[in-house]
Amino acid sequence: MAARAGLWGRAGLWCGEGLSLAGLSRAGLCCRPGPGGVPAAPCWGRAAYSSVPAVSDREGPQQREASIRRRGRTPQSVRSSAPPRTERMAVDQDWSSVYPTAAAFKPASVPLPIRMGYPVKRGVPPPKEGNLELIKIPNFLHLTPPAIKKHCAALKDFCTEWPSALDSDEKCEKHFPIEIETVDYVSSGTSIRNPKARVVTLRVKLSNLNLDDHAKKKLVKLVGERYCRETDVLTIVTDRCPLRRQNYDYGMHLLTVLYHESWKTEKWESEKSEEDMEEYIWENSRSQKNALDTLLRIKASENVSDVTEDELLASEAVKNYRNSVIALKNEGETEGNMSQYKESVKKLLNIPA
Amino acid sequence: MAAGRAGAGCWQRALWLSRRCRLQAGPESYRCSSSSTALGKAVDSSEVTEEEIVLPRRKTWNKLAVLQTLASTVNRDPTAAHYMFQDDPFLMPRNAANSRLYSLSKESGRNAAKYIVKNFPQYFDKTFAEPNVPCLMPETLTPQTEGVSEEALKERIKLRRVKESVDIFDQLVQAGTPLSLETTNSLLDLLCFYGDEESTSENEEEAKKDLEEPGVNASEEKAPKRQFQRGLQSSGPRWRDNNHAERIFKIMPERNAHSYCTMIRGMVKHGAFAKAYDMYIDLLNERHKADVHTFNALIRAAPILKEKFTERWELTKEFLTHMAQQEVQPNLLTFNAVLKALRRCGGVGRSMALLVVKEMEALDIEPSLATYDHLLSIFYRGVDLPPSGIISEVLDEVEKRSFTPQDPDDANFFSTAMQVCCDLKDIKLAYRLNKGMEKGDNWKFLDMDRLNGYWSKFFSLLCMMEQIEVVLKWYKEMSPSLFYPTPKNILDLLQALDAANQLEVIPAVWEDVKQLGFTRRQELLEEFLSLMSRDQHPDEIQLAFAKCAEDIKAAHEPAGREQVPLEWTGSTLGNVVVLFSRAGRTQDAWNMMELFQQTNRIPTDKVMNEFLNCAKQTNCPEESIKLVKLAASLGLPSSHRLKSRTEEEFELSEIQKKTLESIKWDGDSSDSDSSDSDSDRE
Repeated sequence: MAARAGLWGRAGLWCGEGLSLAGLSRAGLCCRPGPGGVPAAPCWGRAAYSSVPAVSDREGPQQREASIRRRGRTPQSVRSSAPPRTERMAVDQDWSSVYPTAAAFKPASVPLPIRMGYPVKRGVPPPKEGNLELIKIPNFLHLTPPAIKKHCAALKDFCTEWPSALDSDEKCEKHFPIEIETVDYVSSGTSIRNPKARVVTLRVKLSNLNLDDHAKKKLVKLVGERYCRETDVLTIVTDRCPLRRQNYDYGMHLLTVLYHESWKTEKWESEKSEEDMEEYIWENSRSQKNALDTLLRIKASENVSDVTEDELLASEAVKNYRNSVIALKNEGETEGNMSQYKESVKKLLNIPA
Repeated sequence: MAAGRAGAGCWQRALWLSRRCRLQAGPESYRCSSSSTALGKAVDSSEVTEEEIVLPRRKTWNKLAVLQTLASTVNRDPTAAHYMFQDDPFLMPRNAANSRLYSLSKESGRNAAKYIVKNFPQYFDKTFAEPNVPCLMPETLTPQTEGVSEEALKERIKLRRVKESVDIFDQLVQAGTPLSLETTNSLLDLLCFYGDEESTSENEEEAKKDLEEPGVNASEEKAPKRQFQRGLQSSGPRWRDNNHAERIFKIMPERNAHSYCTMIRGMVKHGAFAKAYDMYIDLLNERHKADVHTFNALIRAAPILKEKFTERWELTKEFLTHMAQQEVQPNLLTFNAVLKALRRCGGVGRSMALLVVKEMEALDIEPSLATYDHLLSIFYRGVDLPPSGIISEVLDEVEKRSFTPQDPDDANFFSTAMQVCCDLKDIKLAYRLNKGMEKGDNWKFLDMDRLNGYWSKFFSLLCMMEQIEVVLKWYKEMSPSLFYPTPKNILDLLQALDAANQLEVIPAVWEDVKQLGFTRRQELLEEFLSLMSRDQHPDEIQLAFAKCAEDIKAAHEPAGREQVPLEWTGSTLGNVVVLFSRAGRTQDAWNMMELFQQTNRIPTDKVMNEFLNCAKQTNCPEESIKLVKLAASLGLPSSHRLKSRTEEEFELSEIQKKTLESIKWDGDSSDSDSSDSDSDRE
């Protein structure tokens, strides 16, 4: 509809001009059409014909002349914009050739009706042409899924084959328990170095190390917060050396030293008292002694004398009591633990509910 | 990365590498196992599965391999201009002249930057780049050693200061300081290379040449090419009699083969061919041996030294026999020089060229593109040549290989070969050639100018020989991204459209022509108009044609102060009127009719009939009366018939009838002949 309107508008202008010309030539005043009446010079013909709406075609000749003067002395040297090349793009074109690398948003090359920015009052956001907001934001027009697929296919030659024996994560972890993590950085600055690239993170599951109970406890004590109890993973982050390689070597060195240190038993470790224990152990504790004592006395009062301590320990009630005490001591006084403790004590002492 | 544009402050995590190391030292040693042997006893994994894991060897590749592979995934974008230009509708070049200008300006900007860096190195003392990029840092161009000594001379030679070196040399000779032969020889090298002119002017010229060769292939073949071009096309400094080089050569106490060779090469390069030959005779008299480059230069000079074809060839042969006697092994450039000489030997060339190529094969020298270029020129350039199938053999060879630049003339091959295909009118050969050009890095041989020439020839051939659908497909593929059509290409395309009867595409072509800036080419406009106005088309097409006609009309009208409007010719005016009339734009058509009178042209009967038809359709009796008036005032024989038609076909008011009656007949001649032709038409 717009095109039609423009056409008719123009036709109207032509008619008007023709009439006036006819009048002039009859009067013998002028035999050539005045320059002002020409809709446009051929050079910027396009701008005047198609993108300027019909209304502006009706502006007077004087106005047109003024606009020519404004734009420069020689309108021929004034360049007009070519139509955006999106108009000529095929529907099935290869997009990765249009945006092969990272580039700012180019409105004439992106065939999408995008709008962005603060909308005018009761209007819509500005269109893409000459829109700074669209240039400012990062775009990923060069990293469309087909482009990435192409890149991956092309880069396949640089990859080595994955060992077929390592077909699951468990196997990977089993055969290669130590995980090293490094990060490379890129930027378009003058330097290709980034200080953060030297950081090396080393992870290992403690269960994969050959540690006995003592060694493990000692190791956990030595590494402190670097050990995660829930996942059983020891994480060592090294960044004190200037190079990544040095940090890696240092991390491996730390792990080796920790391992050997935890296997050693120093003389003073025998002085470890109950307060130094990492966790509550019921066996040989005072609680066990008291419980057995009480039970034996109960048995004695009931004239059952042939009960040994071992039998008592193996009994269900004692085991229950042990578990609940351990839970209470190691996990803290939660409601569940308390009620479990209550039940086990009742059972132990044979108190009817 | 788009975010990377923000600058150095914004780093992106490129690669998050996480790998696993094994704890146990197995039978093979792995990457991380050396550091974990200390934990050897750690994990007790089963030895059986251990053996199965075969870690692949690490692959290595050169630094550019990944980038090149990624680049290979990108194809040409048919709607974009060359990658060097700004991808913006305002800044993109529109036609060949524009694109040349823009690439030149881009290069000159680069040169300006280089100039600043070279001349003001004191402002570029910081190395921002990490690691440093030496080629971006300013070079030291001022001589460091002071005084007059051999050291100072050597340094100036190294810095290519021609004048200063000569001055120091003269001072040294006057002071009686003995100079080593090597230093003098290197001074001669410098003088002969620059033809005894200061190297800065050379630099500027070099810069100019740089401009003509856009980025890719420029660096690879720049140096030798320039040297050779200088040698044969007399551009650059000429060899003057008794210049510094000759003077120094004469006062040299002792001369070795190198001094002679340098002089010969310098003389050939700067156009003193006869002198070079004399110098060569001197060299032989002194019982020295020339090197292969000298012989190459001499062979290139051979066609200029002699007049007759046979003499030229004899001289070339003489040089070749001398080479054999002096046991100089010929190289590719020798044979190319021989073939180039044979180009200027007429019939002798044709008979000998294949023998030369055979000899190359015998010596196991792989021909370069220049070899084939010379061959094609020998066999296809010139008049009345017997037909030969050598081009298809050449194409067989070219298709097999990917070429690297070896000879400065390599770059000419594809344009020459395409020209030959055009002359032979063989589209199949052209397709084969094009395939060969797109293979590997062969496209690098075409620089901006040659690229345009190559593709416009190819396109003309396509228009001539191919189906219109194929032509249009190629046109769409090539038009802005590979070349900018010349006016001749457009004419060819129009002819092809005409032959295939697909005139409805013309408005689209006209849009392109407007973009290309050919709206002021008279011959093009006439072709457009005559094709559009020849037949009657459906209404929609006629409307589109009328729009084109409007543009063409605008081109004929005064626009700017400095531009002279195009002259109307009778046929263009008539065609525009016909187009307006067929589109039903009576007013526009009448405006054009009036121009006939103003420009003193005579409308044909066909034009007037069309106009009358139009007036009848739009019911404008006024216009038809005006037409009759016009015809009468011009004294046309057909005016009577027009008048009668007007009376018959229009419902005229009384006043109009009176006006019609009152028209005076200037030429009261009979219109018998015109009525005959009219009766045919109606």
